[in-house]
Amino acid sequence: MLNIIELERRWFRYKIKSYIPHTIIILSIITISLVMLSFLSNDKTVQFTKVAIPEEPSIGIDNNKPEIQKPIIHNHLPIIVEPTVEKKQEKKIVVIEPNIIIKPTNTRSRVQLSPSLDFMRKMQNSMQPYYSHENTNVQRAYAPQVEVVKQEQQRVYDAQQTDVENISDIEEVVPVAKKISIKRQNTQNDIFEIIKRFKKNNNPALSLFVAKKYYELGNYQQAYNYALLTNGINEDIESSWIIFSKSLVKLGKKKKAITVLRKYIKQSHSSGAKILLDEIRSGKFR
Amino acid sequence: MSSIYVNSKDVFLDIVNAKDYIQLDRVSTIYQALKDSIKKPLKMILLYGRPGTGKSMFLNKLHQDLSASQEVYLYKTPILDESEFFKTLAQDIFNAKYSGELNFTQFMKIVKATQGKEIPVVLLDEAQLYSEALMEKIRLLSDTRTVKFVITLHKTEKEDIIAKEHFQTRIWETIELENASSAELKIYIQKKLMKANCFDSANMFTNKAVNRIHKLTQGNYRDTNKLLYTLFELYSEYENTHRLSSIKTDQISNKIIEMSAIHTGLINA
Repeated sequence: MLNIIELERRWFRYKIKSYIPHTIIILSIITISLVMLSFLSNDKTVQFTKVAIPEEPSIGIDNNKPEIQKPIIHNHLPIIVEPTVEKKQEKKIVVIEPNIIIKPTNTRSRVQLSPSLDFMRKMQNSMQPYYSHENTNVQRAYAPQVEVVKQEQQRVYDAQQTDVENISDIEEVVPVAKKISIKRQNTQNDIFEIIKRFKKNNNPALSLFVAKKYYELGNYQQAYNYALLTNGINEDIESSWIIFSKSLVKLGKKKKAITVLRKYIKQSHSSGAKILLDEIRSGKFR
Repeated sequence: MSSIYVNSKDVFLDIVNAKDYIQLDRVSTIYQALKDSIKKPLKMILLYGRPGTGKSMFLNKLHQDLSASQEVYLYKTPILDESEFFKTLAQDIFNAKYSGELNFTQFMKIVKATQGKEIPVVLLDEAQLYSEALMEKIRLLSDTRTVKFVITLHKTEKEDIIAKEHFQTRIWETIELENASSAELKIYIQKKLMKANCFDSANMFTNKAVNRIHKLTQGNYRDTNKLLYTLFELYSEYENTHRLSSIKTDQISNKIIEMSAIHTGLINA
C-alpha cells in the first residue's frame, strides 16, 4: 500500500524545486526589463533636457555675479553690463562701463539672458534702433522685471585675440520682452573712461585698447606709451607689439621698430609681426 | 474491491508472457524479419537491445509461434554450468539422458549420431551471462549446422565486444530492438489496456500525458510498465481513501504521473 501523504509531500518538494529555475529566470527577466526601462526613461529625460536648453550660450546676470557669455557686439561701441561682465571660454576680459543700470525689481537673484543671432541681420539694417527677442526655450527668470537702460558706452576686450577690432558698441541688449535703448557715442570720453578703469585694475587689455584707440585717432605718442605699458604688463600680446612698432614707425623711429619686431619675432615667431616687418622694410607701411 | 484502476494496474504487471505481446508496426516488422531469418540457413541469430526493450517478450512470442510448426526450445534463464548446459540440450533436443558429467566432446558425439534430423532452434535469453568459453562452444556447435541458435544480448559495450570477437565473422542475422517512440508508447499503453477491457483507462491517456510518460521512461517498456502500475495503484489508493475528487479522473493527472515517477525512482526527489 502506497503512502500517499508522504508521496504527495515529496511531489510538492519536487515541484518547488522544479519551479526554482523558472522563477529565477522570470525574476531575472523582470529585473533586466526594469533596469532597461529605467535606463531608457533616463535617456528620454536627458534628451528632453537637451531639447529644452538651447545650445546657444546664454547671458546670465546675477545680482552678486552678473555674467555675459556672448555679448552682442555692434559698431565699435563697447559692450554693456554692470557691475562686472565675464565672458566664458574664449572671451576672458570684459571691459565694463557703467553704461547699463540693471534694476532688479524682484527678489530673485538670477537673470538669464539669451543672445540672439538675429542681431547679425539687424546690424545690416542700422536704421532699426532696437529689437526685442524672446527665446521660448530659455527660461528668463528676471526678464520681465529687469530694465536695462544704456546711458554710457561699454567696452569689451577679447583678451585672447586682443583685437580691438572685435570691440564693438552694442546698441541694444534686450532680454525678452523688455526694451533696451542704447545710444551711440563716439567721443574721446571713451578713452578717458577706459584709462580710468585701467588705472584701477591695471588690465593689459584696457591699455591695449587705449593704445589702439590713440593710434586710430593719430595720437601715436600716446599709442606708443600705452602699448609700452601693455607690453610691460604682458609681453605676449602680439597686437600690442604691432601697435607699438607701428607707433614707432609713425613717430619716425623705423629702425627701432624693426629691431623691436625682430626681437619679438625671434621670441614668439609671430606671423603678424613678420608681415608688419616685411611691410616696414619694403616701405609699404610708413 | 475491483475498480477500473485495479484492473488497469494489473495490466502493467511486469510479467513476460507471450499472450501480453502487443503488436506495434515497427515491432511487427522486426518480428517478421526474425521469423524469416529462422527459415534461412543461418547458424546463429543475435537479438540485442537495451534492457526493457522487449527482447525476452520477443523470444517468448517466437517460441509460442514456432513451437506449433517446428522444434524450438526456449531457455529463459541461462544455464551457467557447462556440463549442465550440454546435458539439458542433450536431453531436450536429442532425448539423451546423462547422469554424470557431459563435456562438449561427448555432446558433439551425440549430435553427430543424430544428424539428418530436422534442425532444432534453441532460444537463449540473457546470453551475456554465459561465459566466453561456453559461448565459443555454442558457436562451434552452431557451425555444425545441427542446432540453430537465437540468442539475446543486452546492448552494452562489453556485449558488443563479445559480438564482435566471437560472432561477427559468422553468418549472422543481427536484430536490434529499441525503445518506443512517444506515438508507439501511446499505442502500446492503449492496446494493452483495451486488451484487458479497460477502455475507460485507455481513454484517459492523452497525448500530453503520454509525452510526459515518454519523457520519464525514454520509451522503455519495462520502465513504462513499472510507472503505469504505480500510477494505477495511486489512483486506486485515492479511490479507496475517497480523495479521487482532488485529482483528475477524466485524463491522467500530471501530478499522479510525477508521484509515480518519484515512487519508482524515475524522478529523484
